[in-house]
Amino acid sequence: MTRFTLPDLGEGLQEAEIVRWHVAVGDQVKVDQPMVAMETAKAIVEVPSPFDGVIVALHGKPGDTVGTGAPLVDFSLAATAATATTDPGIARGGVVGRMPESDTVIQNAPQANARTATRRTRAVPAARELARRLNIDLDAIRGSGRDALVTLDDVLGASPAAPAAAKPHIPVATSSMRPAMEGTESGEIEILRSLRRAMAQSMTLARDNVMECTVFDDADIEGWSAQGDYTVRLLRAIGAGCRAEPGLNAWFDGSTQGRRLFHHIQVGIAVDTRDGLLVPVIRDVGNRDAAALRAEVNRLKAGARDRTLPATDLRDFTIMLSNFGVMAGRYATPVVVPPSVAILGAGRISRDVVAVDNRIEAHRRIPLSLSFDHRCVTGGEAVRFLAGVIGDLQLPA
Amino acid sequence: MAKITLVDGINMALGRALADDPDVVLIGEDIGINGGVFRATAGLQQKFGTLRVQDTPLAEGLIAGMAVGMAAQGMKVVAEIQFMGFLYPALDQVANHMARLRNRTRGRITCPVVIRMPHGGGIHAPEHHSESLEVLFCHHAGLRVVCPSTPARAYGLLLAAIREPDPVIFLEPTRLYRMAKQDVSDDGKALPLDQAFVMRAGDDVTIVTWGAMTYETLQAAEQLGQEGINAEVIDLTSLSPIDHDTILDSVAHTGRLVIVHEAARNAGLGAEIAATVAEKALYDLLAPIERVTGYDTVMPYFALERAYIPTVARIVEGVRRTLQG
Repeated sequence: MTRFTLPDLGEGLQEAEIVRWHVAVGDQVKVDQPMVAMETAKAIVEVPSPFDGVIVALHGKPGDTVGTGAPLVDFSLAATAATATTDPGIARGGVVGRMPESDTVIQNAPQANARTATRRTRAVPAARELARRLNIDLDAIRGSGRDALVTLDDVLGASPAAPAAAKPHIPVATSSMRPAMEGTESGEIEILRSLRRAMAQSMTLARDNVMECTVFDDADIEGWSAQGDYTVRLLRAIGAGCRAEPGLNAWFDGSTQGRRLFHHIQVGIAVDTRDGLLVPVIRDVGNRDAAALRAEVNRLKAGARDRTLPATDLRDFTIMLSNFGVMAGRYATPVVVPPSVAILGAGRISRDVVAVDNRIEAHRRIPLSLSFDHRCVTGGEAVRFLAGVIGDLQLPA
Repeated sequence: MAKITLVDGINMALGRALADDPDVVLIGEDIGINGGVFRATAGLQQKFGTLRVQDTPLAEGLIAGMAVGMAAQGMKVVAEIQFMGFLYPALDQVANHMARLRNRTRGRITCPVVIRMPHGGGIHAPEHHSESLEVLFCHHAGLRVVCPSTPARAYGLLLAAIREPDPVIFLEPTRLYRMAKQDVSDDGKALPLDQAFVMRAGDDVTIVTWGAMTYETLQAAEQLGQEGINAEVIDLTSLSPIDHDTILDSVAHTGRLVIVHEAARNAGLGAEIAATVAEKALYDLLAPIERVTGYDTVMPYFALERAYIPTVARIVEGVRRTLQG
């Protein structure tokens, strides 16, 4: 028989109380198997078996206090004899709590894993994120920043170019000449997030580049013969404005001071979606009749709402229309999106008190807000355009 | 060479320092006759006598104050604080005097003191026995803070700390005291006090950790390795000063950083590392920096301590978040 006495369970404590036994007389136990939970003044400590053997006697029952050094457990050892360390008190018991122990050997040799030699593209975090969302391979971009750092402009400049046929020729293509909504043809959720992001970027571009000026007026439509198709009339009026003054149906690149006037009128219509601003484009507005325009507006609006428009419907507008007054708002300062140079805003139609000869009458009027890029459009050109718009809108049909 | 545990490595380094340098003196609670609660000083008083290995009263302020006074008079003091939660009474002496002696005397007097103490939980101990308070020291100029994670480093760094003319806070990861063994020869060779160690090389993510968390972190790295994700694991080791160069070099390679520490997250050392990487290596990062830490609450009693200490699963999860970003 071998006797195991209670070791010092921590910091020189004199005694400990038995909380519960995990073993009973007759049990076969192995080294390190928990035998008993002992409560000291500091903690509940699990006391492991120092031997392989059979329990012969337990000295004490739960609640009993056992002095350090007093008998705790008697063993009958296995034939292989004691495997306990020579001083279990030092090796196991004499600490606070329970020390993890193992015979794991840490190898002194350095780890065999090695790095593979690669040098990644360095990029501004926002550029990295934009490239991810636009599905552009960052490593394929040559960074223009310090130490080949890829900037936001580098990513915008690398966004996929449109097929040449679908895109009017621009003297010098720069990022600022790019219609803002490329790469949004897919209906994926991620693209919806990027819509709003693209809006932020194109608005920032506009703020940083465009010298914007806005002029306000009203079109009196009391004389409309029937109810009239509001959006189609506005499109037609833009055509009339462009005929009166072609300088607003144009693109402008500030970096080269290059201006290009267009023969065809491609009107981008601002469509408000839950995920941000979409600008589908109505082609060749000047040469289409009302029915064709209405059909095209319907198609684009539906496509914008369910995000099924192909990229070709979303780029290369030459002038913009924002028909924001459907719910509220009379006048605004619509933002000119480079490289286009003008945007016409139409507010909520209301019945206004107007002077007719010397009488007072109430007429239905459309409030108009025309923003233009004063870098390349003069005030005179803008109001000539606006006069053309108003003149067409005020026709009975 | 002998296969020894981390606490054996500390004992061996202390014995070597006592034998090599007559100015070295050990002080602390129960370190003499008892050999220390973790047996770090076992046998040393018997071998070197009561003048070289002195038991002190249970008064941490006194221990630190004694150390300052003895060091100012030319001795090299190795003081043991029994558990990290007991250090607060000593902090006045450490922060206001020990750390400042060189500065206060314009370099005439240094303060060669090592304060050893257990660091971190995981051993089922009661309150005040499981804290991870390294930032208290890292924030003070004039102190070095070191935390070894292997027996060999415990030996080499403790020798370096004792030979260092300025005060060193020497944090011993409690649950690694006997966790594993390593071949360590008692050759008296010190290791550099201000270097991080790359424990595992990899391409995909850098994990910086220290102390006992190296254990879970290496397990997490192995688990990720089986999925083909190669983590580079850095054992920071020197918590003040931080070896930023090693971290920045690794992040430039992997582009992702996860910091693992047992201490609470708020104003933890991980924040300092993250801030430095953001300042110096933002353009190298492929994903936001991730921290896997203890929680901003009191270290719980032993029944819940495993819920507090970052687990292998939490580290793996942290790495996965950086791979998504």
